[in-house]
Amino acid sequence: MTWFQAMLLAVLQGASELFPVSSLGHTVLVPALLRWHVDRTDPTFLAFVVALHLGTALALVAFYADDWARIVRALVASVVRGKLSDDPCEKLGWLLVVGTIPVALLGVFFQEPVRRFFGSSAIVSCFLIVNAFIMFAGEALRRRASGSRELDRLTWSDAVKVGCSQGAALLPGISRSGSSIVAGLLLGLRHDDAARYSFLLATPVILAASVLEIPKLFEPAAHAALAQSAAGCVLAGVTAYASVAFLTRWFHSHDLRPFGWYCLIFGSSCLALALAKVIS
Amino acid sequence: MKVVAFLLAVVFFVVAVLYVAGLMQFGAATPGRHVKHAVLFAILGALSLVWMRFGAGPERAR
Repeated sequence: MTWFQAMLLAVLQGASELFPVSSLGHTVLVPALLRWHVDRTDPTFLAFVVALHLGTALALVAFYADDWARIVRALVASVVRGKLSDDPCEKLGWLLVVGTIPVALLGVFFQEPVRRFFGSSAIVSCFLIVNAFIMFAGEALRRRASGSRELDRLTWSDAVKVGCSQGAALLPGISRSGSSIVAGLLLGLRHDDAARYSFLLATPVILAASVLEIPKLFEPAAHAALAQSAAGCVLAGVTAYASVAFLTRWFHSHDLRPFGWYCLIFGSSCLALALAKVIS
Repeated sequence: MKVVAFLLAVVFFVVAVLYVAGLMQFGAATPGRHVKHAVLFAILGALSLVWMRFGAGPERAR
């Protein structure tokens, strides 16, 4: 992998992990479109991907540092007290814990087989089109619903539902943030609250997944690309921070439909190219 | 419910130990030790203990 390829992949990962357009789908389709021959089983590449995810997770932690500090303090206080209180931060913290369990279980048990099975450009393109319709349907159903509710009014079962919706992102082309924002909207959240909850919910999963893979960064085979991994980590982090800053402002007054149109057009174009055997 | 929470915690910790020792292969792509699975079940065990501490019910502080 050249430095240009590595840095482009870092920017792509940092942005597409948080934009509801599927990072996994883009890291399959963009190299295919550019005719890069990336060996996804190469230890160097795996270490590089770990670094990108670590950068993205650290950017999310940095962006929501104040929220996480309040949430962690509230969670520790509730465990020490042995009782739940009416503190919204504590409720949000436990909702995030409950919502993380389903996606952690799904990720640990199904991530590898699912990704092996659905790795071709044509299938990823199809899932990207499905991702578009998930967002269109979510927006249509949300507009039909009357009223909205606050984040701390979600129930434990709501948290499980949003957590399970993130599991759909195991399929390359389905966006983690897209599916969880749609789930939040269907539960009556406003766009900004649904996006905030989605980003907070993604943080422990991405962070834990990358922290557990950190040993791959120090394997002898990965040493050749250590500088690329470090630079990629920083670039993915900066891009992710800018993306989450942009998206939190975007969802104050906009919705998911532009991302849906993007997924529909990009997914359809890639599907056409894959069926015409221009990309594989 | 406290007993259920405690039993769940024990089961999860045992499963975590089995995964990290490489004695359990359920849901694993390759044979060997499975740290990710072990960490997941250890966390579930810890959460079960928290549930037990909460009295396994939705009681709230005043």
